[in-house]
Amino acid sequence: MSISTPGGPERRPTVVSTGKKPAAGRPASGAKAGTGKPAGTPRAGGKGPRKPVTPVKVSQGRAWGPIALFVAVGVLAAGIIGYGAWASFQGSKPWDKRANAIDGIVNYRKTDPDSLKYEAHKSGPLTYKYSPPVGGVHNAAWQNCMGDVYDAPIASENAVHSLEHGAVWITYRPDLPKDQVDKLAGKVRGVEKTMLSPYEGLDKPISLQAWGYQLKVDNADDKRIDEFIKDLRVNASVEGPTALCNTGITATGTTPRDLQQQPPTQ
Amino acid sequence: MTAPATTDTEHDDVVAAPHEGGPAPARRYGVAALAIMVVVGLLLGYAGGLLTPRLTRPGDSSVEAGFARDMTTHHAQAVEMSLIAYRSATLPEVRQIAVDIATGQQGEIGAMQTWLRDWQLSPTGSQPPMSWMSDGAAVKDGLMPGMATPEQMASLRDAKGIEVDRQFLALMYNHHLGGIHMIDAALAETDNAEVVRMAQTMKSTQQSELNNLRQLQAQAKG
Repeated sequence: MSISTPGGPERRPTVVSTGKKPAAGRPASGAKAGTGKPAGTPRAGGKGPRKPVTPVKVSQGRAWGPIALFVAVGVLAAGIIGYGAWASFQGSKPWDKRANAIDGIVNYRKTDPDSLKYEAHKSGPLTYKYSPPVGGVHNAAWQNCMGDVYDAPIASENAVHSLEHGAVWITYRPDLPKDQVDKLAGKVRGVEKTMLSPYEGLDKPISLQAWGYQLKVDNADDKRIDEFIKDLRVNASVEGPTALCNTGITATGTTPRDLQQQPPTQ
Repeated sequence: MTAPATTDTEHDDVVAAPHEGGPAPARRYGVAALAIMVVVGLLLGYAGGLLTPRLTRPGDSSVEAGFARDMTTHHAQAVEMSLIAYRSATLPEVRQIAVDIATGQQGEIGAMQTWLRDWQLSPTGSQPPMSWMSDGAAVKDGLMPGMATPEQMASLRDAKGIEVDRQFLALMYNHHLGGIHMIDAALAETDNAEVVRMAQTMKSTQQSELNNLRQLQAQAKG
């Protein structure tokens, strides 16, 4: 790089022009240094002739390929990082914030917390303020909520106990078309802490319940159903994430029931 | 040389500077130094980010670690009692609350053990039980508040019929009372958000279970 003296005088003009052209890199900073420091002059004498070569090499026109590549990689990296940051921010939002952001959800924990309070389990039929109920006093036995799909109405007195354990209970009007019911069943089957049952007298085709939360929708394709399940299943549990959904009532019928008495095994 | 000389000077600074020393190299090194400073700064920030949780997480003799270890022990006995009642009690409600307690508390044990792993602490401590509590004098014969004695456990295992229900309900009632006492102590002394959150869930769960246990005790008497 420092040996190409022969080209000297002829090339210099070229060098000068190229020295200014590239906005980035050495020539630019060099130009600044040059103007700022006349002190450079003494050095010029001896080694002047061999310098120009470097800028000449740079002056072959911009290498758009690498530039484009770097820009592309940079944009891609920024996109990935940006999306990751956004996604992790969204994902780390507390579940109740996400739930409250669902359009049309009713949060009874805020609007009517007293309706959720109770002293102890109560047996037999109970009356509920909301339909379907979203919490409050309930029977000792809970309805099985291991992704159970019930084809007939179940007892609210047992279902509310399931809500207390963190279940999402999806109810639908008995006249809901079968393909819609099948769609709902597809969201429930095999998913613990969910259950599905028809419910008489619903004012909307479909209603979703978690402890203290309710969302009523018209259609099984409504995206808010998945959001409701994602945000409130397990999270809405009053007794922590491992409260049971098994060993509960598996029978249908709206008369609340206790577990069958079994003969002691010992 | 005259005309080119000016251009030469310009290029001199550009290319020759590093070879010749003087103020120009400082400028060049300035860029390198700036780059190094940025990199070092980023590394320091990263190290700080790594170290902060490490330095602020609960230590071996902390309230949080003591609570996680002792409540694991406390819960473990509740799980044993509950599984006995789930298998052998007469009243369906008793069996049902028993299995609920057993799985719920076993789940909480899992969470507390995960804390200890996250804090890189042993599940076992070197300090006597309850020493994390400021009024830790409550340990009797190595048993934390509310825990059943070995004799009581033996009696529960041997019980038959409704007697299982009665003994279980009485033991679990005291067990929860003692548990809530420990939970309150932890809540009073920790500001670890995760510990607070779970301790509060534990407390409210055990409080409502106390009501249900008392109700069942009345039922089991009759």
